[in-house]
Amino acid sequence: MEIQPRDFHRDWVSEALQVGAILNSNNAELERQIRDLLVHYLEPAWAAEPQNRIAITGATNLTSDLTLDSFQVMEFLMEIEDALDVAIDMKSLSDVHTVADLAAVVARQLGS
Amino acid sequence: MALLDKFEAVAGIAAGLTGAGHNPTQVVIDEILSATEGLVEGRRTVLAGTNNYLGLTFDKACIAAGIKALETQGSGTTGSRMANGSFASHAALERELADFYGMPYGMVFSTGYAANLGALAALLSPGDSVLLDGDAHASLYDGCRMSGADVFRFKHNDADSLEKRMLRLGDRAQNCLIVAEGLYSVLGDCAPLRDFVSIRDRFGARLLVDEAHSLGVYGTHGRGVSEAQGVLDQIDFIVGTFSKSLGAMGGFCVSPHAELQLFRYVARAYIFTASSSPSIVATTREALHQLRSRPELREQLWRNARRLYEGVQALGFVTGPEMSPVVAVRIGSKEDALASWNRLLEKGIYVNLMVPPASPDSSSYLRCSVSAAHTPGQIETIIEAFKELRLAT
Repeated sequence: MEIQPRDFHRDWVSEALQVGAILNSNNAELERQIRDLLVHYLEPAWAAEPQNRIAITGATNLTSDLTLDSFQVMEFLMEIEDALDVAIDMKSLSDVHTVADLAAVVARQLGS
Repeated sequence: MALLDKFEAVAGIAAGLTGAGHNPTQVVIDEILSATEGLVEGRRTVLAGTNNYLGLTFDKACIAAGIKALETQGSGTTGSRMANGSFASHAALERELADFYGMPYGMVFSTGYAANLGALAALLSPGDSVLLDGDAHASLYDGCRMSGADVFRFKHNDADSLEKRMLRLGDRAQNCLIVAEGLYSVLGDCAPLRDFVSIRDRFGARLLVDEAHSLGVYGTHGRGVSEAQGVLDQIDFIVGTFSKSLGAMGGFCVSPHAELQLFRYVARAYIFTASSSPSIVATTREALHQLRSRPELREQLWRNARRLYEGVQALGFVTGPEMSPVVAVRIGSKEDALASWNRLLEKGIYVNLMVPPASPDSSSYLRCSVSAAHTPGQIETIIEAFKELRLAT
């Protein structure tokens, strides 16, 4: 059957949406893993100062919401590297502000 | 955000540091009485945070060498060695350093910071990989970042963490530089260099060791932790500074690799800055001579270090993990550490305040650096001040 341009376009969009959904679902799973790792990393500090405990979402800002300093962010990055067996270059962190940003960086490294 | 708005946050940090009395970053020593004593606000103060490990800043021979150089070579070089030429004394210092380490090549820089920036940015290029100890000094981070290489941190002094990351790099590991320090300046702990050398060999990488705080302190001949651990001849690049044990200013890199000589053409921190003044070069050369010919300085340093380390431990303080001339005393919160630091200063003891993120484990520390020039009485005075601190908190 000859594929009409319109149909071809529809198939391409549909395929792209499906791939996007898989990627998004992988990212969502990755984001969940990172949130769990963050909770684990922050637990000792939260136990000492329970008032700082917050619910972590993708939009949670690592420095302003979780008050991590630059050293702690880099420390946490090493935890992610070991937990997910991935190498993350420090340059990748320059645009990372939120948990979702971090998940996207890890996803890129896992995909590369 | 307007250009200057970001300084509002900096002003807040500065105000916080002043809150407990004195600002630890703004101490003025009105008069330097000796290598280990100064006058601060009219008080005689024991200087226990100067990194003056061998106490050579007032050494008569060093001062005489500096004066002679001032008189015969002038006050400054007024430019870069690449543009203005080198003084014979720059080249002599490079030969003497290379000879000291038993390596064929040596290169000096105007500061220790410039040495790390220059050497790393020359050695690494975009596409290369560098494995950096997580607690490495800011100058090592900056050098790696300036190079454009891909930077990966491994857990501090953890050979397993390094090995795991080398494995993750795959083929890239053989084009990789491992960067570590000999003695770490905040907690006074040493790198497991033997393990790092073994990993370097297994993957075919290169190893750079910063001996800034260990030159003159470790090893039978004072060559640093690499010498103390028996791997000096297996290090690819050793960097260091003249501003600690040698009591002057400047930095260096020595290496068995002839390529070090070509760093001069590409190391921007070497090319685009004025070379060291002749008096600085002269005092550095004399101090290196003193370091080599007076092992008793190192012996006295270690006696003092042991007494202070054991003395503060006996008071119940948590210290760094191993005995060294860097004695870090854990205090806890940033606020407590700042208050304790102020109490010590008011008692006539100057130490360094280390708070996160400058301290390595989110704790705050009062960091002492011991000198061979500290008298036994001064060491006891420092311990006594910590005892009063213990009783007050």
